[in-house]
Amino acid sequence: MGGRVQNKESVRLTLPGGFGPECLQEEWDVDIHPQESQTLAFWDTFEWGLWFGGHILYSSGGAYHLCAREGGWLGAALCEERAGTRRRFWRDFETGAMRARLERMLGLRGLAPVAEGTFRLRRCDVRNSVGKIVCRLEWSSVSAGKRRDEDLLHSCRVLPLFGYEAETARVVEHLVRRGARTSGDGPVETLLRHVGRVPRKYTLRPVFGLEMDTPAREALGRIVCAILEIAERNVPGIVNDLDTEFLHDYRICLRKARSVLSLVKDVYPAEDTRRMRKILGDLARQTNRLRDLDVYLLARDEYMGLLPPVLRPALEGMFRDFSTEREREVRRTVSKMRAASTRRLLREVAEYFSPETHHEPSPAAGLPVGALVFRRIYKRYLKIRGIAAGIGAETPDEAVHRLRIECKRLRYLMEFFAELFPKEEGAEMLRLLRRLQNRLGEFNDALVQQRSLMNYWEQKRSGSKIALGVGGLVAVLYRRQQQARGLIDEALEGFCGGSTAAAFKHTFKQPVSN
Amino acid sequence: MKILSSYSIKGGVGKTALAVNLAFALREAGRRTLLLDLDPQGAATFYFRVASAEKFRMRDADSLAEGLRRNIRESDFPGLDIIPSNLGYRHFDILLDGMAKRRKQLRKVLEEFKPDYDVILMDCPPNITLLSENVFRASDAILVPVIPTVLSRRTLDQLAGFFRDEDLPDGMLRPFFSMVQKRNRMHREIMDDLPVSYPGFLKTVIPFSADVEKMGLHRMPLLAYSHASTAAMAYRALCGEILSLAGP
Ligand SMILES: Nc1ncnc2c1ncn2[C@@H]1O[C@H](COP(=O)(O)OP(=O)(O)OP(=O)(O)O)[C@@H](O)[C@H]1O
Ligand SMILES: [Mg+2]
Repeated sequence: MGGRVQNKESVRLTLPGGFGPECLQEEWDVDIHPQESQTLAFWDTFEWGLWFGGHILYSSGGAYHLCAREGGWLGAALCEERAGTRRRFWRDFETGAMRARLERMLGLRGLAPVAEGTFRLRRCDVRNSVGKIVCRLEWSSVSAGKRRDEDLLHSCRVLPLFGYEAETARVVEHLVRRGARTSGDGPVETLLRHVGRVPRKYTLRPVFGLEMDTPAREALGRIVCAILEIAERNVPGIVNDLDTEFLHDYRICLRKARSVLSLVKDVYPAEDTRRMRKILGDLARQTNRLRDLDVYLLARDEYMGLLPPVLRPALEGMFRDFSTEREREVRRTVSKMRAASTRRLLREVAEYFSPETHHEPSPAAGLPVGALVFRRIYKRYLKIRGIAAGIGAETPDEAVHRLRIECKRLRYLMEFFAELFPKEEGAEMLRLLRRLQNRLGEFNDALVQQRSLMNYWEQKRSGSKIALGVGGLVAVLYRRQQQARGLIDEALEGFCGGSTAAAFKHTFKQPVSN
Repeated sequence: MKILSSYSIKGGVGKTALAVNLAFALREAGRRTLLLDLDPQGAATFYFRVASAEKFRMRDADSLAEGLRRNIRESDFPGLDIIPSNLGYRHFDILLDGMAKRRKQLRKVLEEFKPDYDVILMDCPPNITLLSENVFRASDAILVPVIPTVLSRRTLDQLAGFFRDEDLPDGMLRPFFSMVQKRNRMHREIMDDLPVSYPGFLKTVIPFSADVEKMGLHRMPLLAYSHASTAAMAYRALCGEILSLAGP
C-alpha cells in the first residue's frame, strides 16, 4: 500500500492576457509574492535529441539546468551544473548525473543555442477560509530575448498541496471560467515557434511518397531532391564545426544521391547522369580527409583501450598530430564548401532534379518505378549470392571488399524504395542485410585502420616509441580483422540462405516480360 | 525512519507545543516529517489550520494504514505533512483489543510510511490506554514534557513504573523540562534534583514564554511566526539534541 504518493499532478494553464491571480481573490485569500525575472538560454542538438528525448536544457546565471519536458513546458528540474565556460558535448559536463543523462540523448552530437527567453514569474499561495494553503500558483509570462519585450504567452501552473486536490480543482475551474485553457503550446514551445525553431524530427530516411506506378523519373527526382535537401541542412553545422555528425550525414547524402542514379539506369539521359554523378563524387571527395581524421579522433579512447597502459603514451603524439591536422583540414574544407564554385555545383544538381526542370526523354523515364526497382533489387541480391558462393577462407580481401560494396548498394536501393514493399518482410530482409554489413564493416574497418596507421608511420618515421605504439595497434587490429572474417560466413549464411532467398524471390522477382 | 512521540500522563504540560514545533524544526533540518495527531481534541491539527480527518474504518491493520494514508495533508511548510486528528481514535482501543499482537499493531502500520518520511512524530492524548501502549511500542523515543513542580516526580515515576511492568525498555523515555521559569526557586531545585534519577533526561530546557501561548492566535508553529524568539531557539536546540541521540 505504501505511504504518501509523492508525485503530485500539477495543472498547466495558458491564459488570455491581462488577467492576474487577483481574480481569485473573490473566493480565496491569495498571497502574491514579488515577481522574479530570469533569462534562460535553451540548448539542443541539430536532431533535437533532448527535446525528443523528453528533456529541456537551459543555461541561466552561469549554470546549466536539465529539466524534464512536459509538453511544451519546463517540467521537474533533474540536475544542474555550474559552468564557467560553454559546454558542447556530453563529455564537457563534469557532474556524473548530467553526463549520464546527456550521453544517452546527445551521443556524438553537440549542443547549440536554440532560443533565449525571459520568464517573469509571480508565485502565489491560495488559502481557504481558515487560511490553510490549498495550492500554490506560478503565474508567468515569457518574451523572446533578454529584454522586456512583447509577451508571447501568459501561463499559470497550479500545484496542489497533497490532500487538497479537490479544492485545487475548484481553483482551476474558476480560472477556466475566466478563459484559461488546459491545452495549448506551453511557454517553451511558444518561444521556439516565435523564433522559428520548431522542433522537428530529423532522419536520413525520409518518406518520399512513392507508388508502384510512379513514373521512374518522377520517383528518382523526388528521392534525389529530398536527399539533397538533407545534405543542405547539414552544411551550416559543418561550416561551424559544431560536431562530426554533420559532415558524416552530408557525405552519406551525397553518396546516396550518387548511387541512386547508377542503381536505376536510363531514367535520365546518360550524359546528364554521368555529369551529376561526377559532381556529387567531387563534392564528397572534398571532405574525405576531414572525415578520415574525424574517424581516427573519435576512435581515440577505443585505440587507447586496445593497448596496454605502458604503450598508451606512445600514441598521444599521433593523436596530437591528427588534431593539428584536423584544425587545418576544417579550415580548408569550410572555405571550399563556402566557395561560390561549390555552392554553384550543389545548386546545379538540385535544379537538375527539381520537378520544374525538363529533360530529354530516355528509355526508362516513364516506366513504373516499382517493377523497375524490384528487378534491380532482385538482380543485386542474386549478384551478392554469386559473390558469396565464391568466398572461402582463402579468398583474397579484394572479394570481401566487393561484397561489401554490393551490399551497400542493395541496402540503399531497399531503403529508398522501402515504401513499396511489405513492411514486415522488408524489415526482416533488411535486418539480415544490416547484420552482414556490420560484419563486413568490422572487417573492412580493421583493414583500413591498419593501412592508415602504417601510412602515418611511413610518413612520420618518428621515434621508436611511436613505432611501438603503432605496431601494437596494428597487431591488435589484424587480430580483429581475422576474427571479423570468421564471423562473415555465418552472416552470409543468414542472408543468402534458403528462407531469405525465398523471401527475396517472393517479394521482388518480377514475372518475365518481353 | 525514526518514530518519536510526545507523551505524558498529565494534561497541559506542553506535549502539543512540543509536537508542533519539533515537527517544524525537523523539517527545517531537512527531515521529511509526518506529524500524526492522535489526540481527538486535535490541537496540533488546529495549529496547522487543517480540518479534522474524514471518518474511516479501522477494521484491521490494512484498513487503518489505508485510512491514515488517505488523510495525509501537506502543511503550508514543504517537507512537513500532517495526519489530522480523528474522533474515531477514541475507538482505537476497542479495535486494537480485537487484534492478535495488539500491542504492536501501530508499529506495523507506521512501517508502511517508511519510504516517504525520515521522521514520524505522534502527538498523544494524556492517559495510559491500549493506544498509548501501542505508541510506546511503536516509538524509538518517547519525549515527555515535565513542568518542574513537586507533582512531576510522581507522574514520571508512575510512567517509569508502567514501563517496567510492561517490559518496555526504559531507555526510551526522554523527559525534558517544559514551561520553565528560571526565577522560580522551586523550579530550580527540582531541575537540579530530578534528572539524577532519570539518566535519559534531555539537557535542553523549554522556557515558559508568552510567545508560545500565541500559537492559538497565529494558528501556526511558534517557529513559523517568531523565528528567532528564545523559545523558538530552545525548540530548535531540543531538535538538535534529539537528532544527535537518534543518529543522522
Ligand atoms: N513553553 C511554554 N510557555 C508558555 N506556555 C506554554 C508553553 N508550552 C505550552 N504552553 C501553553 O500551555 C497550554 C498547554 O500546552 P499544550 O497544549 O502544548 O499541552 P498538552 O500537554 O498538549 O495539553 P493536552 O494534555 O491538553 O493535550 C497551551 O495553552 C500552550 O499554549
Ligand atoms: Mg495536546
